[in-house]
Amino acid sequence: MSTTKFFRLLIGVYASMARRRLGAVRKRSRLMMAVIGMFVLGYWVCGYLLFRGGFAFLTKFPGLGGLLMDRMMYVFFAFLFLMLIFSNMIIGYSTLFKNPETQWLLTLPVRHVDVFRWKLLETTLLASWAFLFLSAPFLLAYGQVRHVGGWFYLKAFLLFLPFTMIPAAIGSLVILVITRFLHRRMFKWALFGLGSAVVIAAAYFIKPMQVAEVQHAEMISAMNQLLHNSRLVLQPMLPSYWVASSMIAWGEGWGGRGLFFFLVLLSNAFMAVLVSVTASRRIFYEGWTCNHSQGQWHLGWGMLGEEIHVRRGNRFLDRFLGLWPWMHPSTRALMVKDIRVFWRDTSQWSQFVIFFGLLTLYVLNLRNVAYEWNSEMWASFVSFLNLGASSMTLATLTTRFVFPQFSMEGRRLWIVGMVPYGLKRVLMEKFWLSSLWSVTITLGLTIASSFMLRLPAWMAVLFTGTVVWMSFALCGIAVGIGALFPNFGTGSTANRYDNPAKIVSGFGGTFCFVLSMIYISLVIGAEALPVYYGYGTTFEGRPWGLVVAWIFVSLLSLAAIALPMSLALKKMEALEM
Amino acid sequence: MIRTEHLTKAFGDVVAVKDLNLDIASGELFAFLGPNGAGKTTTIKLLTGLLKPTSGRALVAGYDIQRQSVEARRLVSYVPDLAFLYDKLEPMEFMTFIGQLYGMEHDAIARTSEELFELFDLREARSKLIETLSHGTRQRLVIAAALLHDPQAIIVDEPMVGLDPRSARVVKNVLKDRSRAGCTVFLSTHTLQVAEELADRIGILNHGRLIAVGTMDELRKASGVGGALEDAFLTLTREEEQEEVETRPA
Repeated sequence: MSTTKFFRLLIGVYASMARRRLGAVRKRSRLMMAVIGMFVLGYWVCGYLLFRGGFAFLTKFPGLGGLLMDRMMYVFFAFLFLMLIFSNMIIGYSTLFKNPETQWLLTLPVRHVDVFRWKLLETTLLASWAFLFLSAPFLLAYGQVRHVGGWFYLKAFLLFLPFTMIPAAIGSLVILVITRFLHRRMFKWALFGLGSAVVIAAAYFIKPMQVAEVQHAEMISAMNQLLHNSRLVLQPMLPSYWVASSMIAWGEGWGGRGLFFFLVLLSNAFMAVLVSVTASRRIFYEGWTCNHSQGQWHLGWGMLGEEIHVRRGNRFLDRFLGLWPWMHPSTRALMVKDIRVFWRDTSQWSQFVIFFGLLTLYVLNLRNVAYEWNSEMWASFVSFLNLGASSMTLATLTTRFVFPQFSMEGRRLWIVGMVPYGLKRVLMEKFWLSSLWSVTITLGLTIASSFMLRLPAWMAVLFTGTVVWMSFALCGIAVGIGALFPNFGTGSTANRYDNPAKIVSGFGGTFCFVLSMIYISLVIGAEALPVYYGYGTTFEGRPWGLVVAWIFVSLLSLAAIALPMSLALKKMEALEM
Repeated sequence: MIRTEHLTKAFGDVVAVKDLNLDIASGELFAFLGPNGAGKTTTIKLLTGLLKPTSGRALVAGYDIQRQSVEARRLVSYVPDLAFLYDKLEPMEFMTFIGQLYGMEHDAIARTSEELFELFDLREARSKLIETLSHGTRQRLVIAAALLHDPQAIIVDEPMVGLDPRSARVVKNVLKDRSRAGCTVFLSTHTLQVAEELADRIGILNHGRLIAVGTMDELRKASGVGGALEDAFLTLTREEEQEEVETRPA
């Protein structure tokens, strides 16, 4: 069967299924759909306004405005490129090697390379759509400030197609090589090493400007520093350079230059896909069979040719949790099970590592944001921005890792559901376990960032208390909504979802994220108002505004924990397994 | 039709399939038995090309499943114990998709699908979404889809799991009829009764090794016990266990 015919058949099948999924979405609660719709619209509008404000600010620098805007474009696409590579690697591993459809397709009379091509396309779409969604307000704002015509957006869309193909091809190639030549367990360390290398390189090369210099009205000098520090993104061999150059050129009306970079991008995209597909002819099936031959050591290099013995029966967890005598044995057993399952699932913790990498980068960069006491407005802004960034990261973590926990029990639900204390205890265990690690992460992050920003003590205490509330509340939302709107997949076990990324992408996951964002907005809004209208970074004078805000945050957080959790616990009573 | 030559598969230190030599003729219904973890599913994955052997080779209809995999897979159908199905499709749409993958004409797909729906009692289910079907109905659909392109060989892993007695009877009849019509059936099962009832020959795998192969009578003779297959199976696997314990270095 030809590749075209195979693709045509699969596209037909997927189109039918997409149509039915859309139909199913329409049957969902209108209120919930409206909430999600408003959130998406709100993101686009707020994102657009923020980016537009930022670009408008940059245009005010005489002689430098255009240059700075262009540099923003290069930086934006460079980050997007890096994120797309990681995203493609993570999704590609699941799609190519862990997907039941891939296994099934490999038993049909189609060439392995065609299965790889199809899965590469699927990976590209899954890994890239969210980035396109997120970058839309950025491009719209750029276009508005540059006063470009309508054709610019169409050309930008055209540029995105080859631009997403390159990281997809690179990501899949890396995954093919790792899966073929490294042991499954070594995969963890390979990915961890790669992630660490990227974080270290980014921390070394990316040097944000010293904000203090902006405060001292040496704007031009600060902007020069910004341009100097971000010169890395101007490497002409980077695909992000080609896409940004093409967009800038088309924005300026330089059609020839824009077309030139578009063609450079297109030809390199084809080349990257060609290399990836050619490699797949040799190593995709080999990698597949290696991946499914558990326990086999595949590294051919002599010096590393010895077998690796993985220590089994590690009792550390049992011993550690045994140190807490108040913990019920069944809760302890559930915790041990959840932690072990998490650690042994590559697709789970590899994304967790990336989150941590980004957090490390974020905290490392805070060292460059000199906290300027002379400007209370600036100080309040930066500190609340920090709280917002920390809490949004937490919401992403809880939605991605906590929300799917209940759904992932899937076909095993009856096992945990049949324990003497039933599903209620299971749910409470998930809430406490996720809350504890969330508090650990966010407390560490908040204390580190407060220290880096040299926040006054009262603000550090306020933020620390707030993130503790937020950790519990966001976990309450994620566990509760996860149980209320589980996504088990359907039918036989082969079709049921064990892939957390797929579980999150459903309706419940989206709803959980939207609710988390609404909660965060309300908390930050409540605390920022008295600071903004009152007294900036000084606590003296009118503390009552903050006290009222704190009481509101506490009540809101309690409601965010109690409401979804009590509804979920009630559902557990009536749940039929 | 299905042949393995010194087929071996190792997972690290564990040898799941050890020097397996099989020769299954056209139209033969071969039952593959063995305790849990004996290597049955690994053998099936080697026969369908889902795993690469550590050594040896598997041939289906004369084609090496590794070297001429597309040609071999065109002539064979595989029904796994947990089959993949597109949940948001209707059974007829799924059958059409499968038929097209095997290069069948639309008319032939429609005609054969109707026959198979009739045979497997799937008429009522044909316009429902697959996600709404019960396990038994899905299993019948998977077997029907596997038979759609009239394969020369069909490899089935635990087909009776989750089927009600009526469905199980239908599946058994269909497999037997297909075998009589010249299709080779390689049936892996734990259900000794099914093997006894259907199989022309039976192979018993234990710890990756084929410890016995032959007709019911031959197995009875080899085990030294008469009666049901269960007795022969238990005797043969127990003897093999004892042999292994005796030969294991102290």
